[in-house]
Amino acid sequence: MPGISLVARETTYSRGSDQMCRHEARVQLSPEEQTAAEESLSVYCKPVELYNILQRRAVRNPSFLQRCLHYKLQAKQKRRIQISVSISGATNDGPQTQSLFPLYILLARLVSTTNVETQCTAVYRFSRVCKLMVFGGDETSSSARAKFILPEMSKLSMEVKSGSLAVLLVRCADTTNLEGIDLTEDHMFSTSLSRVGYCSFGKIPIDLLHSSWQASPTLSLGGRAEMISTVIMQTCYMKLSCLDGGKCVSFHFPYNSEALSVLQQVPVIICAEEAGVKNMSPYDMYSYNDTPRPGIMRLRSGNVIFNYKYYNNMLQRTEVTEDFSCPFCLVKCASYKGLRFHLTSSHDLFHYEFWVTEDYQVVIVSMRTDVCNSEIIPDNVDPKQQMFFYCYKSARRRKPKCLTQNANHVHPLVLDSAMPANLTELIDNTDCVPECMERDTYSPDASATGHSFAEPESVQSVPGSNLGPPAMLQFAKTRKLSIERSDPRNRALLQKRQFFHSHRAQPMALEQVFAERDSEDEVDDDVADLEDRRMLDDFVDVSKDEKQMMHLWNSFVRKQRVLADGHIPWACEAFSKLHGPDLVQSPSLLWCWRLFMIKIWNHGLVESRTLNNCNMILEQYQTQYMIDPNLNPNPNPKPIPNPISNTITSDDR
Amino acid sequence: MTKITLGCEPAVGSLAPSKKRDYRVTNRLQEGKRPIYAVVFNFIDSRYYNVFATVGGNRVTVYQCLEGGVIAVLQSYIDEDKDESFYTVSWACDADGTPLLVAGGINGIIRVIDAGNEKIHKSFVGHGDSVNEIRTQALRPSLVLSASKDESVRLWNVQTGICILIFAGAGGHRNEVLSVDFHPSDIYRIASCGMDNTVKIWSMKEFWTYVERSFTWEELPSQFPTKYVQFPVLIASIHTNYVDCIRWLGDFILSKVNDCLIQSVDNEFILWEPKMKEQSPGEGTVDILQKYPVPECDIWFIKLSCDFHYNTAAIGLYNSGNREGKIFVWELQTSPPSLIARLSHVQSKSPIRQTAMSFDGSTILSCCEDGTIWRWDTVATS
Repeated sequence: MPGISLVARETTYSRGSDQMCRHEARVQLSPEEQTAAEESLSVYCKPVELYNILQRRAVRNPSFLQRCLHYKLQAKQKRRIQISVSISGATNDGPQTQSLFPLYILLARLVSTTNVETQCTAVYRFSRVCKLMVFGGDETSSSARAKFILPEMSKLSMEVKSGSLAVLLVRCADTTNLEGIDLTEDHMFSTSLSRVGYCSFGKIPIDLLHSSWQASPTLSLGGRAEMISTVIMQTCYMKLSCLDGGKCVSFHFPYNSEALSVLQQVPVIICAEEAGVKNMSPYDMYSYNDTPRPGIMRLRSGNVIFNYKYYNNMLQRTEVTEDFSCPFCLVKCASYKGLRFHLTSSHDLFHYEFWVTEDYQVVIVSMRTDVCNSEIIPDNVDPKQQMFFYCYKSARRRKPKCLTQNANHVHPLVLDSAMPANLTELIDNTDCVPECMERDTYSPDASATGHSFAEPESVQSVPGSNLGPPAMLQFAKTRKLSIERSDPRNRALLQKRQFFHSHRAQPMALEQVFAERDSEDEVDDDVADLEDRRMLDDFVDVSKDEKQMMHLWNSFVRKQRVLADGHIPWACEAFSKLHGPDLVQSPSLLWCWRLFMIKIWNHGLVESRTLNNCNMILEQYQTQYMIDPNLNPNPNPKPIPNPISNTITSDDR
Repeated sequence: MTKITLGCEPAVGSLAPSKKRDYRVTNRLQEGKRPIYAVVFNFIDSRYYNVFATVGGNRVTVYQCLEGGVIAVLQSYIDEDKDESFYTVSWACDADGTPLLVAGGINGIIRVIDAGNEKIHKSFVGHGDSVNEIRTQALRPSLVLSASKDESVRLWNVQTGICILIFAGAGGHRNEVLSVDFHPSDIYRIASCGMDNTVKIWSMKEFWTYVERSFTWEELPSQFPTKYVQFPVLIASIHTNYVDCIRWLGDFILSKVNDCLIQSVDNEFILWEPKMKEQSPGEGTVDILQKYPVPECDIWFIKLSCDFHYNTAAIGLYNSGNREGKIFVWELQTSPPSLIARLSHVQSKSPIRQTAMSFDGSTILSCCEDGTIWRWDTVATS
């Protein structure tokens, strides 16, 4: 198991109905059954190992999905406060309040205030405005509520200090005029228009809200904080403008405004809650709304219990991860739902059941039977040839240090105490099965992991099996080791499948496959000769002997790989030796050859000495032929060996 | 390419049957549910002239034609691969005269069945796709040719299991090879045709040493120096569509045009003379001599069958409009060609994939898509 197992301890907490997170403690097992149970737990090894490999590969190059997830995780962790502002209709006192609507709610920042003799001007800048048409109630329609997002409390306190942020209530006075000012329309703020008009203006400073939220016990825990505040609306002169591309509104208050304006009191309801805590499972509800029952070791909401079923689902081992971490690849999945999707999509070698109760978020992991069957190595298969290897560590290898090697986000969870002692031992035994994998998974640096596997004693043989020292975790081994075993492995791979000849498309015998000879890039000399002859046949102004000569030379050059000018002297002598007996029998052919040699001498490819040598060779054959025309000194000419080295050594220029 | 000069128009056969001979149905056999793609008489061995083989699905069946329209099942072979669908079968012969059945199909593996000992003799692997036709060299019945979807024609020695030559490459077919045939007397010469609309005539003369070596090859078949024959001696583009059947008639060639693919239901066999230029292989002209219409047939991949002496030929044709499977029996060697008989039956409602004419042409077998085998025998006409 990649996470850490639960250690059974004596605790006071015990719930009979707790099915989610309980060891099947009442199962009494004989020693044989314990061994069998251990064996059955080991089916988790190979899939987990596979996921470890995948995880390690993903370290450098995380998959797209997980990068997205990371971003979402960060975005979610960014805490914000959502406020909604509505007007209470409870103190509805007649037509005066009726004429309150449409009321504009702005979250605005004070840009500047100027105090001229007769009036004071405040310029506010804002980005969004909400238009309220009715009293707020239970309905959540946008015409009854204005919603804004504020930064989290700690950041908000900075804003409070500056004192510039405020919630503004604006009612345009001239409501009867249809051409009047509508703050929600962007074009109202264009500089060409410069809209002006009288309005009622009310303001809720943000520090007022802030202090009330700080006092609220529920808000920090994710609950709602609701407050009613009465805002005094005063009449003023409003001017819309545009400042640096942002929307601005400036209010001009005459100093005697209190005397002039009709003061109006508006009861405003402001609800605040932390954004992002809406999607709560029963588990979350419990944690926020109730005080934890004694005995339940409440951890954070991201804790998920993993129950690994084994031994025909009779037993289970439990571990807990934090922050909705995946126990296999340690990816933080942001939510229980995300974890669910991640597990089913990324680790489908297991079967999952997902349970959420008030007390627990549980994932029950079991081996998929189909996968399990195919993964088990049959007796007659050499596991060294398989991709993954069975790993087992005997009980005495267990050391407590594996407990201390946990990564920080995995903690043991103390659970059901009804477990008898023998089962505790059993769990201890089974626990060590995947120990190397645990280390592998949670070791903070990869090099240390590799080193730990290079230790000879960390690799142990499977008891009662004739597998020999298994090559556990091939990928983690040093390069040298993999090279050492590559030859028999490659051999075995070659034996496994049928190979076909690349030219003939015929199935190849095993000895052909293993043979050193590689004919892949060989030119078929017979076919090449044929094609050469066919090509020469097309020439109409060449005599038959000339064609024959050309053909002999072409095929000689191809077979002996005469490629460079420097090869030519050697080639001439060798050609004379090879074809001399035939040439002397046909004087016209011999003439062709001599003519050709003169031509290449003209081109400066051969020296006169080479010409001389060739003619000496030919003369020798000629005299032999004169003595006995039937004697063919070279009846079956063989290709001359060592062509290229001859070129260099025989030429003593 | 084909220039027809005045007075040299090909002679077109008349569709009025001469009734020189008449055939009637003497037997009908339901072999199975799967379509039967090929039926072929054994012309290799005179002892077995009345034996024929059929292939359909993964099954190869051997029958015997007895007196009075009786058909007796002799042997049946089933490929262990259920997905195998044999398209073609041919009779061949071992050095000691053992009759062999060579069958190929969708898997591209050619199965050589030793019908004398009732066991698999060899399996030829090499074709990269399905095998469309297999033909046997009558002069050397150990040599078989296979035409494949992999655009190659291969020459095999069934006796030693060697792939001797591969007719493919620079001058080879550019699409599926549908049909192939040995020249009846010139042992070096073969012809092939296919879905690239061409007919190619190949010569093995320069490679004949390899053919001879294949008979005495002692080593592994995979070590045999298989040669590629890349350039045919003649490429004839006389057709404008798929050519799905080719047969030598002496030095002439009978090939089938498929006009059914271009909205016409009238196909025809043409008899033409390839005129090769000795000096420049690959070039040459053709002279179209005769035409044998195959009217109202709108399916293709239908092969013609001839009697041993190529006097008569039978071709199955099918019109999906009136769902009628008919057989036309042509007198091949008369000029103009004359239709001997037009065979039809009320119950013959399925496409006829291939016909087989017996040694003397007195019996015609046809195999159909519905898995039936029909036997037609000549009726004595006064």
